[in-house]
Parts: sequence; structure tokens; C-alpha cells
Amino acid sequence: MTRILLPTATPRQTWAAIRAEFARLPGLSAAAAALLMAASAAGLVAPWVLGLLVDDVITGAGAGRVAYWATVIAGAALVGGALTTAATAVAARLGETVLARLRERVLDRALHLPSATLERTGTGDLVSRTGDDATVVASAITGSGPLVVGAALSVVLTAGGLFALDWRLGLAGLVAAPGYVFALRWYLPRSAPYYMKKRIASGERTQALAGALRGAATARAYRIEETHVAHVAASSATTRDLTLEVFQVYTRFVSRINRAELIGLAAVLITGFLLVRGQMATVGAATAAALYFHRLFNPIGMLLLEADTVLQAGASLARLVGVASLPAAPVAAGADPGVTGDDLEVVVTEHHYDDGPVVLADITLRLAAGSRVALVGASGAGKSTLAGLAAGIVAPTDGTVRLGGVPLDELGEVRTRQRIALISQEVHVFAGPLRDDLRLARPDASDDELRGALDLVGATGWFRALPGGLDTHVGEGGHRLTAAQAQQLALARLVLADPEVAVLDEATAEAGSSGARDLERAADAATAGRTTLIVAHRLTQAASADRVLVLDQGRVVEEGSPDDLLRAGGRYSELWAAWNG
Amino acid sequence: MLRPALRRQRGRLAAGVTLLCLHQATEALVPVAIGVVIDRAVATSDTGALLLSLAALALLFTVLALAWRFGARFSYAAKEHEAHLARVRLAERALDPRGQRSGLRDGELLSVAASDADKSAGAIRTAGLAAAACSALLVSAVSLIMVDLALGLGVLVGVPLVLMGLQRLAPLLTRRSEAQQASLAETSALAVDLVAGLRVLRGIGAQHHAAGRFAAASHDALSATLRAATTKGLHLGLTSAVNGLLLAAVTGAAGWLALNGRITVGELVAVVGLAQFIAEPVQVLGWCVQSLATARASARRVAKVLQAAPAVRPGTESAAPPACERVVLTGLRYGTLNGLSLRIPAGETVGIVAYDPRDAEALLAVLAGTVSREDYQGSVRIDEAPAESLRLAELRRVVLVEQHDVALFEGTLRDNLAAGGADDDDTLLAAIRVAAAEDVLHHRGLDQVLVERGANLSGGQRQRVALARAVAAAPPVLVLHDPTTAVDPVTEALIAERLTAARRARPQATVVVTSSPALLRAADRVLVLKDGRICAEGTHDDLVAAEPSYREAVLR
Repeated sequence: MTRILLPTATPRQTWAAIRAEFARLPGLSAAAAALLMAASAAGLVAPWVLGLLVDDVITGAGAGRVAYWATVIAGAALVGGALTTAATAVAARLGETVLARLRERVLDRALHLPSATLERTGTGDLVSRTGDDATVVASAITGSGPLVVGAALSVVLTAGGLFALDWRLGLAGLVAAPGYVFALRWYLPRSAPYYMKKRIASGERTQALAGALRGAATARAYRIEETHVAHVAASSATTRDLTLEVFQVYTRFVSRINRAELIGLAAVLITGFLLVRGQMATVGAATAAALYFHRLFNPIGMLLLEADTVLQAGASLARLVGVASLPAAPVAAGADPGVTGDDLEVVVTEHHYDDGPVVLADITLRLAAGSRVALVGASGAGKSTLAGLAAGIVAPTDGTVRLGGVPLDELGEVRTRQRIALISQEVHVFAGPLRDDLRLARPDASDDELRGALDLVGATGWFRALPGGLDTHVGEGGHRLTAAQAQQLALARLVLADPEVAVLDEATAEAGSSGARDLERAADAATAGRTTLIVAHRLTQAASADRVLVLDQGRVVEEGSPDDLLRAGGRYSELWAAWNG
Repeated sequence: MLRPALRRQRGRLAAGVTLLCLHQATEALVPVAIGVVIDRAVATSDTGALLLSLAALALLFTVLALAWRFGARFSYAAKEHEAHLARVRLAERALDPRGQRSGLRDGELLSVAASDADKSAGAIRTAGLAAAACSALLVSAVSLIMVDLALGLGVLVGVPLVLMGLQRLAPLLTRRSEAQQASLAETSALAVDLVAGLRVLRGIGAQHHAAGRFAAASHDALSATLRAATTKGLHLGLTSAVNGLLLAAVTGAAGWLALNGRITVGELVAVVGLAQFIAEPVQVLGWCVQSLATARASARRVAKVLQAAPAVRPGTESAAPPACERVVLTGLRYGTLNGLSLRIPAGETVGIVAYDPRDAEALLAVLAGTVSREDYQGSVRIDEAPAESLRLAELRRVVLVEQHDVALFEGTLRDNLAAGGADDDDTLLAAIRVAAAEDVLHHRGLDQVLVERGANLSGGQRQRVALARAVAAAPPVLVLHDPTTAVDPVTEALIAERLTAARRARPQATVVVTSSPALLRAADRVLVLKDGRICAEGTHDDLVAAEPSYREAVLR
């Protein structure tokens, strides 16, 4: 199956999406912009006043003037402080609200990805977008965001201040601009490939470490510890060397920034000198201009150094917007097409993935309401694919699946999922309290109902032993459930979801013989009264079914009740003999 | 931890610190230089003085730029080299043949090697930065005192005092931002967890409930973030206001001195500039203190691994020549094992059924040579020599334990199969056949690439590749633990037949710990472990006929 990637937004679409979010909060956006500007402007007062003070000193004004100017600076400081506090809080409220809305929409779209798309994209890309990309954007908005916005504003306003002092001093300050632009244009194309290489190398280093540590027991058994240490050392050295190389590029970038600073500062001082000599400006104005320019060093440096972060956040944002712009969650559209019963009919003339070989052909599978049918066959015979088709996760290339006489594509995805549940081989215990995991299947279930479901699938034994009962933290980072317990949990969710049809494709083999028997009993209990299609990974699961289909290379080679098939002495009876050793 | 690192990197560090100090000193001199240019050239309109002072300014910036460029490189290189060294030593320690008793799990070890190695090495760089900040303070202090003693002392005492005052807000700030980060991390973990379980959610039509749960968590995270942002805003506002007030005081005092002619206009500019500048090195010093605390915690974790005692103390002997009975256990007590005795002769395939899985784990740990001699009683003899007298490499050359929890490595199929030393393709392909894993060869043969942990293979394929790897190693004694749990019945029967035939032909001994009837029937002899010792012995068919508890345990 070829993997396709989820959409990524173009820069234009990304901007449009962000602007639309800001437009949804017009009052907050306007307040944030005004406060940020005012706070930056308050910072310009001190150098300006200092210039005036220099003039007063030169003209020999009285001591009262000094006190006056000091009071003005103090007043500006107090006002500036208050404005900064307000601006930071309001800007954070704006940025963080937009961010929260975005991440909620991304997850909503990700969770409601149509089955067909999910089967093609896999969950890997989605996981990296909802995890890594969301984190990159969040830390950029929360961490660098206020700094970058503040720096950009103070650059613009300080430049404005220079022009306000004297337009010629303003122009002199602008002389530095090409130097900064040059530095950035020198740096970005040189560093980008390095950062890419470094990311790959450090990914490899982590993999080498993880592989070696997780496989330590095996490495010892085969006496290949040194090979693995050498592998770790080599990948660590590569990462180190790349890190140092990219740092060299970075230091040269900083030198170029320093050069631009010198050029600008010299231009301002020379202009001030000329203006003072021509009596077109005071020494105070020249002083204020030089101090203004010196004040620019930090914010400009910050903007240039954060350029990488901003670009990375932009790329991640484009991937998030790509997911967020997927169609909204499907709703059960139109009238219920009137399902007349719980019987399931699967007719597959032919099925294949993309241009791949035919994996299923000429299959007619009828499950009467409440009956239990088992699929049997070797690995690769097409059992799981047929289960996916029957559950409506995959649409057959040529064929139809009907529930109570209604084709699934007419029933729609939402209604199909409410009526047909699939427990696949993929086992996942959701991290958090056990209660939350179970309630995913039925949010309004009471604790008694949850305990009842666990009891029905035979989980009471280990459930009683849990330290915190339903509050026990399970899954990643919590109490580790065994594979068999996780399977029972999946069955308990099925009980709570209470669908008419259950398709079971769970691998019970890992549980060992007695554990597997417990799981089979649990599956029987969980599916009692439901129309059930079960992929028999263990032949005993077939023995208790009403009917058995034996698949071989995508075709049905035998069909009948288990006892009949055993007596008939065909493929099923051969498998049965091999199975029992 | 820090001292040997400083010693190892002393050359780079000395150069780095010297240059970074020089850089900070030149940074401190920039406002002074601006004052000088105003004083000597702008105020006097002296062209000669302007050219001279511009040349001096250019020189100052050149020194500033070069000092940082090379100083930063040296100290960065010192840190990176040290982190690399720590990482390699951690890997060596984690993979030590003797094992290690740090008590850390794989995940924790990985985080120590990946992140703590870096953080503890960061201390080196922090030390350099601290030295540079001190030199900046020194230069500023000298410049200020040269302008005016009282003013200089006032600034030098006032600025650090004010910064320390602001620092008192830090705990509140840290608490809020930690709460915010925790709640963001939780939200992100929830998103990843829900998406990772997406197929499960879809299977029961629970996507909508999951989206609702995420939205609630996201709201909580938003509130925490806003609380933290308000505190941060308050801190920023306060810092900016206090710095502004300080500036007003310095400007007032220096302006008064200038009016009285006690200092020049240029000196006024320099004093004001320096008063603003010294906040930077003072803040850097504060940051260095925090960062050294983090580095120390990381260094402790690194040291815990590096100094962990080995799990076993192996002997020094080479293995004796092959004996008839390759492995003999007598009266073994370890974990749940309670006086277990058994003999594994060459050429025999022995099936072991353990009613209690802990018995199986204990037995495998002893056979793998990962249990220290002090921790078990009884004797373990390999080719008649006591196991504890042998070098580990010798012990493991004779007895190979392939764990149930299969670990395949990143690389080609050939690399993985050749782990046991066999390197010709014929041997490897024959082993693939024994493990009935021909399907893995389909696309690219032995050049098939496996990603980390063989995640691009199915569970059954991974199990069979691991089995093939063990068979290709052709050890005198091969110990397998539930090797076919993810394999379908037909293939399992094939494996049982081929495996026993291949091992018997050599003749090499094979121990299969399993409850699979197919594998047990193919074994020459089956031992049943109950309560830590052998309770029954015989062929599979005899045991099925005679022992009801055996039937219950192995028949499906």
C-alpha cells in the first residue's frame, strides 16, 4: 500500500487561516496591538530626554532642569511598566486562545479522518503533527512570540524615534539595514541544510542509542556489545561534528551582525558630527541618536537570531493548518435509511489495494442476525482484510457490504461505526485513569456499568488488584497492563459501546494457552447476542462458531459448521490436526 | 563529574574563557566609546578627532566580533566533546557484558544518555559564561569608578540589589510556568495518545467522545497558560519599570555632576550607558547559578549509571572441551526455582513447560549468565566447568538464549542474521528456511532493510527472523522461549519439524521453553516445571496421556 501524506497548507493559506482566527477576536486583537505599541513607545522616552539633558548641560541650565528630566524618565518608566504588564497579558490571551482553538480543531479533524484516508496515511504522520508540530508552534507562540513581537515593535518605533530627532539621523540609521539583510540572507540558506542534516543525524543517534539499550539483552547474548557501542559512538560523533560545523556558521553570522552594527553606529555618529558642525542639530540630538541606535542592537539581534525559530514554527503551522482545513467531522446526514435488521452481508467480487495484487476474490459472506461466523486461514490468506471490509473500514474494490439490507455507503460512516464495532489487532490502552479509558466507549456510563463490563469480560480478578480501582492510571507512564489485560479492556469497551454487530480480529496468541482460553471466554461473553464475525487466530475460536469459512490466498476454500468440516477431512481438519500438535 | 571534564577540556576552555572575557569587556566599552566620540569629536567639531575615534570604534568592534566568534566556538566545542564522551561511556556501561546494577529501566537509561549527558556537559560552557560575565562587571566597575567614585559605587551596588529584589519574584514565576508547561505537555501527550489509538477509537465509534475530552484538556491548558502569562507580564512590567527608575536616578545624579562640571557630557553618556549595560552580566550570572544546579542534577544521574556495579562477576577461564552433557543444573534455587536439576545432552531437543511463568524467567536468566553467583544456590555447569569460573564470552558462546521479547536491530536482514558470527549467505538462507521465514526475503532478499526494532515486519515475521538468527549462530546449546506465539498453526508445525531436524543433524542441544503442542511433540523429551522444580518428564504424547494438569496447560 503506498503511503500518502496529509495535506500541508501553502504560506498563503496559512496566513489566511491565522488572519481569520484573529478576525474572530476583533476587540482583543485591537487592544493587543494598541497596548504593544504604547509599551514600546514608552521605552523611547529615556534616550530622548537624555539628549535634551545633554543640551541643557552644554547650555548650562539650572539644577531644576535635571530634576525635571529625571522625573520625566521615572514617569515614563512607571507608565511603560504598566503598559508592558497589560500588553503581555492581553497579547498572550490573544495568541494562546488562537493556539488553543487551532489545536482543538486539528485534533478534531485528525480523529475524524475518513477511514479510507486513515488507511492510506497511517497514524505516524498524524501523531507527529498533533504532537511535535503542535509543540513547536505552541512553544514559539508562548516562548518566542512575545519577544519577537516586542523586538519588532521596538525596532520600528526606535527607527521612528531617530527620524523624529532629525530625518537625516534617521537616514543614517537606515544605512545599517542592508548589512542586517545581507547577514540574514547569507546565513539562512547556509544554515538550513545543516539544521536538516543535524536533525537527521541526531535522530539517528537517538535510534542507535534506543536500539542498543532496548536490545541490550540480545546484544549480550550474541556478544555484539562492542558493535553497538561503536555504532553509538559513530553516530554521536557525526552529530557532534555537525553541531560544531553549524555553530561555526552561526558565529560567522553573528560577526556579520556586529559589522552591520558598527556601520550603523558610525553612520549615525558621523551624521551627528556633520549636523552639529553645520549647526543643524544639537549635541543632545546627536547623543540621543547614538543612544537610540545602541538600543537597537539587542532587539535586532534577537529578531535575526529568532528567524530560525520563526521559520520552523511557520513550517509546523502549515502542517497543522493542513490538517485543520480537512473537511469537518461527518454528521449522520439525512434520514436513517431504515436498517431492517442486524444481519450482515458481504459480497466481494474482487478486492485489491491500489494497483497491488488481488487479495480477496469471489466471496459471499452472510451473517444472520445474532450468529457467529469464524474466518480461518494461514497468515496472509486475507482474513484481516475481509474483517476490515465487513466492518466498513475499507470499501471493497468491487463489491458491497449490507447491514440489514442497507449498503454501508448509504448508511454513512457515523451510523456504520455506531452499529458495527471492530476490535483489531492493534491494542491500545489510553493513558490516564482506567475510568476515562472505558468511558471513551460510553461517556455517560456509571461506575457500576464500567465494573459490570469488566466483570463480564472476566477482568474482575486483576481489576480488584489495581491500587486505585477505576482511578488507577493505566497506559503510557502508568500501571502497565499485560497484553491479555489490554485485550480484555478492549472487549469491555465493546460491551459498553454496545453495537449490533461485532467484528473481532484480535490476536490472542501472546497470552499463552490458559490465558488465551480466558480471552476466548471473554470474547464469547462480550459478543453474546450480537452478530459476530471473528478472525480465528486460534482454531478453538472457530470450534465454538456457528459457521466457519476457510480462506486460502483470498478465496473461500471451505465453508460449513465446524463439526461438519472436521468430519469432511479437508483443509480445516488438517489445520486442526497441526494445531493440536 | 565536573572536575575531570574541566581537566580534559582545559585547552579549549582556557582559550574560550579568555576570549569570552575579552568580548564582554569590549561590549562594556561600547557605551564608553560612544561617550568619548560625543565628547571629543561631536561636541568639539574636530574632524581629526572624529576620524581617530571612528578608527578606534572600528578596532573595538573588530576585537569584539572576533573574540566572540572564536571564544564561543572554543567553549561550545569543549561542551560538545564532553557530551559525546559521556554518551559513549554511558553506552559502554549500559551494554557491558556483565550487566549493571543502576536499577534504571531502558527508557530512563535512554533519557540519561540522550539528555543528561548534554546537560551535565553544559556545565562547562556555563562556567565559561560566568567567568566572562565577571570580567564584564569588572570592566564596567573600573570605568564607572574612573568617572566618579561615588556615582560608580552607587551604580555597582544599586543595580545588583535591584536585580536581586526582582529575583525574589522568580519562585512564583517558576511555579506558574512549570504548571503551564506541565499542563501543555499533558495536552500534547493526550493528543498523541488519542491519535496513536485512533484505530481503536474508530473501531468502537468513539472519535467524537475523544475529541470532546481533548477540547476539555485544551481549555484547562489555556487557563494555566494565561495564569502564567499574567505573572510573566507582571514580572516584565516590573522589571522594565524598576530599570527605568534606576535609569532616572543615575541620569539625575550624573546630570547634576555634569551641570556642576565635575564630569563631561561624554562621561554622562558613558555612565548612563554602563548603568543599562551591567544589568546583562548580572542576569547572566543569575542564570549561570540556576543552570549549574540543573547540570549538577544531570551529572548525578550520569554518575549513577557510570558508577553502577556490574550485575555479575564473571570468571576468567576458557570453556572446557565439549562434554556429553553440555549443561547440568543441580539443586538450583533462584527466584521461584526451588531445587531444580536438569541435564542437557548434546544433540537432544528438550521441551520445557513451566506452569508458573516466573519459573521460566528465572531459568532463562540463569542460563543467559545474567545472574550473579551469590544470588543463586546449587550449581550450574557448562561442559562440566562451573559457570561462574568461565569468561562471559565463553559461557555465551556455548549457551545462546534468544529471548521471547524479540529485539531486532536497525540494518539489513543480513546484518541481523549474522549477529551470531555466520557471514556466508548460504548459512543465513538455510537458517531462514528452518525458521520458515522465506516470506521476509520476498522483496530484496537478505538486503531487506529492517528499521529500528524491526518495526517494518509483522509480529510473526519478527519472531521468525529472531529464530533464524539464533539458528544461524549455531550455538552448541540453543535456548528458545516461546518462539512461535505469533505464528500461524501451519507454519508452526513446519518450524517444529525443521528446527529439530537441523539441530539434531549437527548434533547440537536445543531447549525450548513453550506451551505449544506442536513444538513439544517435536521435542525428544519434555520436562514439566511446577513449584520451581521438575514434576514430570516424558514425551509429549506420554505426558498428554498421563498428566491431566499437563493437558490443561498445553492443549488448546
